[in-house]
Amino acid sequence: MSTAVEVDDLSFAHTGADLPALERVSFRVSAGESVALLGPSGAGKTTLLALLDGRLQGWSGRVSVLGAPLDPDRPPPSARRPDTGFVFQEFALVERSSVLRNVLNGRLGRMSPLRALLGSPTKHDLEIARTALADCGIADLAERRVDSLSGGQRQRVAIARCLAQEPRLILADEPVSNLDPTRAGEVLALLTGAAQARGATALFSSHQPDLARRFAQRIIGMRDGRIAFDVPTSELNDDATAELYREVEPLPGLSLRAVS
Amino acid sequence: MQFRGFGGFVTSALIAGAILWSFVTTDVELSRLMSAGPRIADFLGRMFPPDPTVMAEIKKGSAETLRIAILGTLGAVILSVPLGILASETMVSPAVFRPIRTLLAFIRAIPLILVAMLMVGAVGLGPLPGIIAVAFHATGMLAKFYAEAIDGVSRAPIAALESAGAGPLVRLRYAIWPQMAPVVARDTIFRFELNLRESLILGIVGAGGIGFYIQTYVRSFQYDKAASVTIAVVVMVIAIEAINVALRRRFT
Ligand SMILES: Nc1ncnc2c1ncn2[C@@H]1O[C@H](COP(=O)(O)OP(=O)(O)O)[C@@H](O)[C@H]1O
Ligand SMILES: [Mg+2]
Repeated sequence: MSTAVEVDDLSFAHTGADLPALERVSFRVSAGESVALLGPSGAGKTTLLALLDGRLQGWSGRVSVLGAPLDPDRPPPSARRPDTGFVFQEFALVERSSVLRNVLNGRLGRMSPLRALLGSPTKHDLEIARTALADCGIADLAERRVDSLSGGQRQRVAIARCLAQEPRLILADEPVSNLDPTRAGEVLALLTGAAQARGATALFSSHQPDLARRFAQRIIGMRDGRIAFDVPTSELNDDATAELYREVEPLPGLSLRAVS
Repeated sequence: MQFRGFGGFVTSALIAGAILWSFVTTDVELSRLMSAGPRIADFLGRMFPPDPTVMAEIKKGSAETLRIAILGTLGAVILSVPLGILASETMVSPAVFRPIRTLLAFIRAIPLILVAMLMVGAVGLGPLPGIIAVAFHATGMLAKFYAEAIDGVSRAPIAALESAGAGPLVRLRYAIWPQMAPVVARDTIFRFELNLRESLILGIVGAGGIGFYIQTYVRSFQYDKAASVTIAVVVMVIAIEAINVALRRRFT
């Protein structure tokens, strides 16, 4: 089976941070897999996903995405970017634009820059956008402005935008942590289902073990920038999970670190 | 507000001192104020009834004021686009935006009427010095507003388009501009309203517009005509405000 993501001995520190956000991280994800990154806040999930998306530079180690190595010092060429789709925790939609416009924004990397600037999507682009809307169950919201939508609807728009991009790898950073539990289950089912239906690989992060268990075939546990475990979902045991969320031993005079 | 302790005492004493100083050193002749009653009545009497024969002058003057405000605002927009970018902390480095912001604050501190007087001296009487003065004066505020509009844009959608493979110009068009456009429109309309109000009096220093007639009629003691022009100005200000409120509601 071909490899979608290969990470080898990856370390990274944000500029100005005294501790590394990622420390000697290694793992691989096969094409078509659905994998969850599980870990408390501050574990390094967002950093890892943004890095795989080509948005962080200055790391060390070897990373290759969809068969092409990432350059630690410069963003990937724009021609390769549409192959990796990203779903953001805070949706990252243009609030004042329509739902359809936002979904079409996912096509921008697939158009020639001139066509993109002139704002003339082809019939094909429109068809793909409409299909993505329908797949996300929001075809009837196409003309609505995003700022009039609920959180669940917004994340569906963001997923539709990602699908319109026709990615082969879908990275999702806590895609449902801003939604209520019922909505969270529905949206994560939609995301992983759509990825599977398209034969795309899905790598999503979560701080909720039950969601990771329900929607991933494999779970990678992260804490303090390191990988704590990497197991098939069926082998995830409660002790390992509990260890992931263990609070730091409180030192006298220091306040507890938040782990929610 | 409450003044407490020694600091409070000093503050109160300073305020009292400032008021006393103003009274003592200004020639406030209360007797003149007392005897002014009849004179004010006489003055008002001569304003009534307003002389309606100046309709033609009012039309000509207001049209010129409107042109000054429109062209002055256009000039301010043209100057504010580059200056707004240069005053934005998300577009340029502190070494650029700090001095530009100081420059804009300096421009804002110069009253329009003063700029207009200087421009009349430089380019002569008429609407041209008015237009230049309005453009210059308004840029101090408008460029600052534009910079704030740029800095107020949420970064997340920009990152999302970058992730999708859109280049910088495409990101500007689809992620940055849609967020900025309503703010820019609202700020520009607001500044246009101010420009129109402020240019009503530019004629007093010879910089064109309806203010010229007020000055002319007052100097020649034709108070009934001055009254008509004043009423026209008041009506215009109210109309501008009403139109502006209606326009602004469209950009939310
Ligand atoms: N832009 C940044 N600058 C400095 N430090 C950061 C930045 N973003 C994240 N960090 C730090 O990196 C670590 C990992 O953060 P993050 O990747 O956001 O974790 P998670 O997504 O698992 O909550 C944390 O210690 C966090 O404080
Ligand atoms: Mg995070």
